[in-house]
Amino acid sequence: METHCVGPARRDDEAGRPKRGRGARSLAWLLVLLVPFFGGVGAFKTSAADAWDEVSRAGILRYANDAEGGAPYIFHPPGSPDQLTGFEVDLAAAIAGRLGLKPAFVQNNWDVILPALNQGGSFDVVIAGIEWTPENRAKVALSRPYFAFGQQLVVRADATGLDSLDALRGKRVGVLSATASFRMLEKHGGIDARVYQDNVNYFRDLESGRLDAVLTDTPIARVNLAGNDKLRRAGPPFAPGFYAVAVRPGETALLARIDGAIDALLKDGTLEKIYRKYDLWDDGQAALTAWKPGGETTAEKHSALKEWGTYLPILLRASVTTIWVTCSGMALAVVLGLGLAIVRLYGPAPARWAAIAYIEVFRGTPLLLQIYFIYFGLAQQLGVRLSAGFAAVIALGLNYAATEAENYRAGIEGVPKGQLEASLALGMKRRLALRRILLPQALRISLPSVTNDFIAMFKDSSIVSVIALVELTKEYQIRAIDTGDYVGLGLMTAGIYFAMSYTASLGARALERKLGHDRR
Amino acid sequence: MIAVEGLRKRFGDRTVLDGIDHRQERGQSVVLIGPSGCGKTTFLRCLNQLETPDAGRITIADVTIEAGGRVDRERQRQLRLRAGMVFQQFHLFPHLTALGNVMEAPVRVLGRPRDAVEAQALGLLEQVGLSQHAGHRPGQLSGGQQQRVAIARALAMEPAVLLLDEPTSALDPELREEVRDVLRRLADEGSTMLTVTHDMQLARDIADTVLFFHAGTIVESGPPEQLFGDPVHERTREFLRSVRD
Repeated sequence: METHCVGPARRDDEAGRPKRGRGARSLAWLLVLLVPFFGGVGAFKTSAADAWDEVSRAGILRYANDAEGGAPYIFHPPGSPDQLTGFEVDLAAAIAGRLGLKPAFVQNNWDVILPALNQGGSFDVVIAGIEWTPENRAKVALSRPYFAFGQQLVVRADATGLDSLDALRGKRVGVLSATASFRMLEKHGGIDARVYQDNVNYFRDLESGRLDAVLTDTPIARVNLAGNDKLRRAGPPFAPGFYAVAVRPGETALLARIDGAIDALLKDGTLEKIYRKYDLWDDGQAALTAWKPGGETTAEKHSALKEWGTYLPILLRASVTTIWVTCSGMALAVVLGLGLAIVRLYGPAPARWAAIAYIEVFRGTPLLLQIYFIYFGLAQQLGVRLSAGFAAVIALGLNYAATEAENYRAGIEGVPKGQLEASLALGMKRRLALRRILLPQALRISLPSVTNDFIAMFKDSSIVSVIALVELTKEYQIRAIDTGDYVGLGLMTAGIYFAMSYTASLGARALERKLGHDRR
Repeated sequence: MIAVEGLRKRFGDRTVLDGIDHRQERGQSVVLIGPSGCGKTTFLRCLNQLETPDAGRITIADVTIEAGGRVDRERQRQLRLRAGMVFQQFHLFPHLTALGNVMEAPVRVLGRPRDAVEAQALGLLEQVGLSQHAGHRPGQLSGGQQQRVAIARALAMEPAVLLLDEPTSALDPELREEVRDVLRRLADEGSTMLTVTHDMQLARDIADTVLFFHAGTIVESGPPEQLFGDPVHERTREFLRSVRD
């Protein structure tokens, strides 16, 4: 371990050069990325000493957060979309200042922020509402807490009797992915948990009636309920917990400095000042002062492959969602695409232009954007509230219809010209010739491309998880974050995807054979 | 049965048909010969409106189309219903069986009952010697067999005239005879036929009258014995010498 890959790069530093050698650095990067993958997280240590040496030498504390996290943690203040503010931005600045460092924000997707920390390199600490839980302590080293929060149920203002988890049995409850709230719903059981990627959209869906309640951390509830008379808190906060700063395991020197800085900020009232600025200071924060370091972590390590009896059924259940979303989406795409292709080829001029415009717009913009637009945009602007599953099918169907239309057009144009002439010579009208002679041949020509798209949609369907639909990839993500077993669960998930795609392509091949009589 | 007056057709600057007049009686079998590119296929395709002529008048049975002006699709269709077409490359529908190819138009276009059409179609396939192959798809048939299905397909619509565009040209020499045989019988039975061909054997066998086409005009016409034995025009003689070589 002492002579690890970053060794040479370090010697460069000791020789007094301000920057590390490029080649050595990219090699180090590659190994840094690969080692945890094969060797497991625990096998990796950055160096003989500690990240603190490097941080103090650079004079910069690189901290990761997710700007999508929203108020009050970290957000773009209204009217200044290129600035960042939030209590964690202020906190990071205060901690860095206390240590004589400059803070530097690094954006990272919150879902995978702890694994990213362990992969090393682009940031030194995570200050992003990381909960002080056994699960997290098993993955990273956590500082003393800097904030005390509780779980808060939020419901619509006119809701009655929904003020406890027991009362929410069978109800739809929005929750943030990979949080204590999510694990609480899971453990409680019997609640229809809808998993979200961000702190904002579940409130919108609660307002619009897609959800019955939201379970979230108190700061999120506080900010989002301010000035909102459509929603209210249900019951008092419960299940108190803490946020803490995360560092890589084993970096005791850096951790000790962070602990010291938070202690000092708590004692001299800086924390209170920051939290009051965001209207977050409450009696609950007294727990910060009373806090004593706990014993060793007791969270058990999971291996998905050994516990396949537990995880495989969970993944298989999620794959049912993947299958029905894909099959319904493809059915829509096939029908709509055929109509578009025909209008594009044979329609009157204005209809033809409309079909071309449709195809170009839906092919030329990201599927993700279209999903947001259909699910959130329509609800907001027109009051059209599609369920997540329905919106997913519509979005996939509309998007793929553009591709299918082009497949069919290529198929129709691929039918020899003599076929139309022979049909017309027999006295057929164009419409009849199209339906009986050209299309059956065109579909045979298009079939391989359509199969291809069908298989591609199995994979693309994972995008719909952004609208709180837990399909296979999302389920994998949730479980991988919970257990830390990215490899074992990944192999299982990949296996299921492969089984689905391979079945689809076997079916398509059989269909091609069945329809392929005309070719010798 | 067929009357063509002053038919003209240009492709760009090139005049392909330069004022063709042609009359053909019921039961007559006429064969068009002439060098490649002389306009004979275009003439045939103009007759059933697969090409739109620039000028002239075409009458087949009781339908007349005058060139120029708006295309009247329904009238075109009526004309096509009276003129069955057989193509050089057969153009059978590959996704249908031989029987399906023959039945498609009578059922779908004329709206006749399926069982009646099926009986008629099987009869036609028998006439062209293919009753054993009714259930085969075009891909499973030889070129000669495909062309015979194509002839049955055209006949199933009971057209007033049969237009044949080089019906034996795409076939290997040993397969031509089976198609000639079918066409000879049709001619003997008194079908009204207009055939474009390079197959002089076929022309001799089925023609009542042979037309020699050159550069978009009919240079010479006459019964086959006369036109092949003692052609009047130098151009005709040249052409016949070239195909004999």
